[in-house]
Amino acid sequence: MIRDVTLGQFIPSNSIIHKADPRVKIVLLISFIVLIFCAFNFMSLALVTAMILGIIILSDVPVKMYFKSLKVIIVIILITSMLNMFYGTGEPIWQFGFLKLTLSGIYRAVFVTVRIILLILISSCLTFTTSPTDLTDAIERLMKPLKVFHIKVHEIAMMMTIALRFVPTLLEETDKIMSAQKARGADMESGGLIKKVKSMTPVLIPLFVSAFRRAYDLAMAMECRCYQGGDGRTRMKTLHIHRLDIFCIVFTALVITGVVLCDIFIVPII
Amino acid sequence: MSYISASNVKFSYDEKGKNVLNGVNLKVNKGEFVALLGHNGCGKSTMAKTLNAMLLPKEGVVYIDGMDTSDDEVTYEIRRNVGLVLQNPDNQLVASIIEEDVAFGPENLGLEPKEIRRRVDNALKAVDMYEYRTHAPHKLSGGQKQRVAIAGIIAMEPSCIVFDEPTAMLDPNGREEVMRTIKTLKEKGITIVLITHYMDEAVLADRVIVMDNGEILIEGAPESVFSQVNLLKKHSLDVPQATELAYKLIGVGIRFSKMPLTAYECVDFLEGVLS
Repeated sequence: MIRDVTLGQFIPSNSIIHKADPRVKIVLLISFIVLIFCAFNFMSLALVTAMILGIIILSDVPVKMYFKSLKVIIVIILITSMLNMFYGTGEPIWQFGFLKLTLSGIYRAVFVTVRIILLILISSCLTFTTSPTDLTDAIERLMKPLKVFHIKVHEIAMMMTIALRFVPTLLEETDKIMSAQKARGADMESGGLIKKVKSMTPVLIPLFVSAFRRAYDLAMAMECRCYQGGDGRTRMKTLHIHRLDIFCIVFTALVITGVVLCDIFIVPII
Repeated sequence: MSYISASNVKFSYDEKGKNVLNGVNLKVNKGEFVALLGHNGCGKSTMAKTLNAMLLPKEGVVYIDGMDTSDDEVTYEIRRNVGLVLQNPDNQLVASIIEEDVAFGPENLGLEPKEIRRRVDNALKAVDMYEYRTHAPHKLSGGQKQRVAIAGIIAMEPSCIVFDEPTAMLDPNGREEVMRTIKTLKEKGITIVLITHYMDEAVLADRVIVMDNGEILIEGAPESVFSQVNLLKKHSLDVPQATELAYKLIGVGIRFSKMPLTAYECVDFLEGVLS
């Protein structure tokens, strides 16, 4: 069972969104996030929502998956919208003790809810349509300019790659160690939280020992394959900006302009 | 001059400690297939690591194709030429996609993307794993993982590959796959040093070297080495099962024209005796 864990949440497909350059996707995601918080009236919010829903339809990922990612944060959405609802200013429509419901409060709650939902949807869209290796690759390339500040970009990316590679291996190992300890009579199910956490010690210690051993082996294997850090290293897969990516960038730019215009010419609601 | 030439190599892991290698002299010719045998702790893995400059001898010298392993300038040139495949296939794979893992070596060499692609495809085809190129390593069997690890070395186009007990953690099927791969590599003219516990693997080599206590005990063609059953037993080493059977039969008076090394040879011979 533990072997089937999917890494990240990548869902392979051949959609336009899958094919787009991962670097472009990351940059656009960031601009979307900014955009979501720049929508101050219903018109611009509707525009952003329409755009994000459009992307989701194009992404060819089952809608069920998006609902799943929303399910996790439903409590947060409820709490924040409740808080916002009663924090508005102006004439109360309805009052119960210290709780005052105002029109501006309701608007605010709607905006916050829609914003959080959009935020989750668009970021899950990135992880659904981009494989973890592509993501690390894109992050390495995007962060390259940070070398000026002596940030070890290549090393960070290498660490992410290795971590991704070894997550399934270590999960499998955890499974094995747990079975082995259970076979020796270890009890991991009963008792309260503290007892359960304590009963993990005989699993964690062997797991750490083995992880260190693996790290030693891997370091040697990497050196045997002439690894000398990021300098002078080339990549097999090079990323290219295609017409599709330019189209995505232009399209996003148009939407941004639309939102900005709406914000300027229509009275902000919040 | 031999491709690998080690003379009087001494090595110990800590300064005062006992020598793990105690003056090893080893010569391997280009294109030769040498099996290195010995029980646990006899220094054979340590010897393997001195061959690609992972460890430098405390005394003595190791020359690879005329290059001294203790010369810093040629360290990476040596590592490119002498690939080392380790025991645990899981701990040798770096990336979470097969083809990217195989590309790791050539990428470190700073080759052009097109050339890397060509080498990766060739290496994967050579180990018969091409159709798995976009898979994740953790979904493969042990034998397949080890073949991918071998492909990762082949992609650097080395002239020699040192295998450090490549089959020790594999099931019989995986062992068979890996040994088949090693045989095809040998046919391609790559020099092979195979360190192993399994006598039936050593039998395939051109020359067998037996190590004990950091020294070379005997060396020679498989037939001549394995016919010294008494000496090997004295150093708690095994001989192939077929040879052991023949040895016992000789004890009861049956004559063998030549020591059999594999089950087939043994069967053939026994058929002759019985008919």
